[in-house]
Amino acid sequence: MVAAKTASAFNPNVKITPIHANIKEPQFDVSWFRGFDIVLNALDNLDARRHVNKMCMAANVPLVESGTAGYLGQVQPILKDRAECFDCVPKPTPKTFPVCTIRSTPSQPIHCIVWAKSYLMPQLFGEDEDSGSELDEAEKQGENAKEIAALRKEAQAFKAVRAALRAAPAEQASSSSAAKIVFNKVFHADILNLLSMADMWRSRAPPVPLDFDAIRAGTFVLNRPSQNGSATPTAQAQTIGGAKGSSATEKQLNGTGNGASSSTTTAATAAAGSAGLKDQRALSLQDNLELFVSSTERLAARLRAGEDTISFDKDDDDTLDFVTAAANLRSAAYGIPGKSRWEVKEMAGNIIPAIATTNAIIAGLIVLQALHLLRRSYALLRNVHVQFKPSMPLSAIAMCAPNPACGVCRDVYAEVRCDPARVTLREVVDGVLGRSGEGEGEGPEEVSVYEDKRVLSDPDWDDNNDRTLESLNVTRGKFLSIVDEDGEYATIQLAIGVLPPNHPTDGPALILPSPLPKPPRREKPRPATPPPAPPPTLAGKKRAAPDDDEIQEVDEPSAKRARTAADLGGVPFTPSKKRRLEEDGLIMLDSAGETIEEDPDVIEID
Amino acid sequence: MATHDPGTKSVPLSITEDEAAVYDRQIRLWGLEAQQRMRNATILVVRLKGVATEAIKNIVLAGIGKLIVVDPDDVAEEDLGAGFFFRDEDVGKKRTDAAKSRIESLNPLVAVETLSDPSVLHGEALDKLLAGVDMVCVTDLDRSTLVRLNDASRRLGKPFYAGGTYGLLGYIFCDLLQHDYIAPDRSSQKDAAKNVRNTAVYVPLKTALQHRWTGMTRRQTKELNPAIVFTILAVWEYQVVHQGELPDDPAAASELQSIANRFISEADVNKQTLPSIPRELMETMATTAAHELSPVCAVVGGLLAQDILKALAAREPPIANFFTFDGNLGGGTVVRMSMP
Repeated sequence: MVAAKTASAFNPNVKITPIHANIKEPQFDVSWFRGFDIVLNALDNLDARRHVNKMCMAANVPLVESGTAGYLGQVQPILKDRAECFDCVPKPTPKTFPVCTIRSTPSQPIHCIVWAKSYLMPQLFGEDEDSGSELDEAEKQGENAKEIAALRKEAQAFKAVRAALRAAPAEQASSSSAAKIVFNKVFHADILNLLSMADMWRSRAPPVPLDFDAIRAGTFVLNRPSQNGSATPTAQAQTIGGAKGSSATEKQLNGTGNGASSSTTTAATAAAGSAGLKDQRALSLQDNLELFVSSTERLAARLRAGEDTISFDKDDDDTLDFVTAAANLRSAAYGIPGKSRWEVKEMAGNIIPAIATTNAIIAGLIVLQALHLLRRSYALLRNVHVQFKPSMPLSAIAMCAPNPACGVCRDVYAEVRCDPARVTLREVVDGVLGRSGEGEGEGPEEVSVYEDKRVLSDPDWDDNNDRTLESLNVTRGKFLSIVDEDGEYATIQLAIGVLPPNHPTDGPALILPSPLPKPPRREKPRPATPPPAPPPTLAGKKRAAPDDDEIQEVDEPSAKRARTAADLGGVPFTPSKKRRLEEDGLIMLDSAGETIEEDPDVIEID
Repeated sequence: MATHDPGTKSVPLSITEDEAAVYDRQIRLWGLEAQQRMRNATILVVRLKGVATEAIKNIVLAGIGKLIVVDPDDVAEEDLGAGFFFRDEDVGKKRTDAAKSRIESLNPLVAVETLSDPSVLHGEALDKLLAGVDMVCVTDLDRSTLVRLNDASRRLGKPFYAGGTYGLLGYIFCDLLQHDYIAPDRSSQKDAAKNVRNTAVYVPLKTALQHRWTGMTRRQTKELNPAIVFTILAVWEYQVVHQGELPDDPAAASELQSIANRFISEADVNKQTLPSIPRELMETMATTAAHELSPVCAVVGGLLAQDILKALAAREPPIANFFTFDGNLGGGTVVRMSMP
């Protein structure tokens, strides 16, 4: 609303309609998208980008995709059949870590942060759910059974701790305050538990259980045989004279004094004196313990005051304090360098540094490409990148032809308008395939039908055929995928739309697209699953579309490719069904040559 | 204060925690010290058309200390196309008067001073004005004025930026005297780019304009998009010959073409890459050079502001020294003109 009001002042002749909603909501169906001449994306996550891309393919509406991160950014015009769509090139999926790395054998600060944010916090302050299921999954995936058994035991003990947190506060100066109980469980008992599995530590430095009272008194000594990862890469990248955060701070080895004199490996912090934000200062072992106690008590107080569950939010100071302290304590136990609160906020909060200038540049470039799309000057379309090359800060690259194996834009799109409560699956599929009236003719003979990843029917299973779409949870805004079992014909993606407003109430429950979709023959057989397959790399040749203008000879069409889908290496760590942590806030860069973290201050998770 | 001291002595930190919260996302990119340097800086912007509007918006949001804007002219109706500090009812008012409070509202932490008396850009008054700023940024001005203001800035030891747009094309020129800075060494492609100290020695515009393209290979020449560079130089020359007026008539195409071709030949540009200026480009320029397009202003103003901030922070390599933007395709290249 604010944006619409501000922009409206720039040109009162333009009608601006603000809509406060999620673009994935059902009312934004294919018909809705078709009402636009062009779509400009300003999204910040992969999932929404994929969704809009698909809707624009379905509605055959030009789309301009874009993204920025720090000093870098890019613009990608997308036009069905003339250029690559967003999914023609696979995008790296957000990084996840194996369960055991997070739960038993961390080796980097990020592992401890993820542990604190996605395991410890939900266990203590989240919903009381059975974490056994994810351990079951890990076991199925082949992770060490003994380890899993130990982790199960650990989970059970949490129940007692959760109860302690929610109980009425004990007497003041109680030595068994809830915070201490938690501390002793996760930083002492659980570590002893892990240490009992000697195999795990045969070739790894084992963790050291922490002693609450000793740390508080300043007498705790961390006896480590060797320092793990003493200097993280970010240490070397510290700017001279800048106090940008105490990455690679060595943990206090001997607890002398009151949390002072934490040794740092960064000349920067020393040189700048104590210049820097409060949040950026290095925390000693004692500091972390006190922060842990204070934040746990604050969170426990909130639970007792009526908050059912508390989950991590980078802007919620109590949770950020808790995650910072817990992560650093765990790091200390494992001989991993700690992080300042400033750094933890960025890593746990998936913050992408942003500046007005890059966004302004990309915004201008978006509009310039949009003008070409609107004027159908397709020969002038370019993918434009903002890059670090001094002689060419802006690189305009020729478009690439769609990927022949793309699972999104090579499908054939059509729309049915219907009443999902009345029409059946059979009626829709037979109708679209032209089986209801005339003879067979062209087109797939045996098909499987999906909604997203769910199989609804296949040639050997037709139980659902006489069920209504609604009963199958196939509703407005969704797609039915009709896949040729023989792999000969392209897949039909059928958008589900609503009956027109003036449709008589006793009229037919289904309006088929006219003409019916005619899926072309494929070049080679495809697997039956709808998700996009990794494509072969194109040489960057442009395929001339029939009524294209004379194709200009322009800069080398060196198509920059994203990395192929990251090797996840193990069971993805999903602590609870509701958390999709790494997905948000990830800005995509469709460029193999560029990486986001050019600046040493940017701490990137992936 | 030392605007381009790369931090051999640390900058006293006076950013409050509240300010740091507002600037959080950008501090995470360029660091607290860079932010402090910006906060200590006073920047002069001359003329308030599209590029200046965008550049001002960006540097004010970023949090410079003080902005001084000089523009003697009134708001014209055509200013509304790219000048978003102006509203319909501002037409006829002094540009600086109309824009001042809107600039201030972008960031209350920035001091804004406006001047509409043209005499402030001449003689002693100019020297006095320049002495009180840390950086000069002149926009949408003719070549003679650019040279004059560049020379004055140089004389007073002030780094100098110039930028402008002509229809779909745009440029940025800078003279940062001797500029010391730190930049990550990105050539190694490793994860942790090490910071390296650099010094760049700049030349004034009048020297840059004598640049020759002799000895450059076809590929080197082509990469820099010389057609755009010489289009802009031709428009500048046209203005000199026509009392400061920009071309605004199809008939001007031939004159632009002959100027451009003369310059290309004098500059000894690789004949295989650019034997002559494309006629089509001259025809487009003839009718669009005098007009602003807001997206082009956004790109040029964005890069201009970004470079000003980089120069203030003494981090990241600034433009060296002549950037041109081709809004038709979206590419932008930098030519080193007469730089050692």
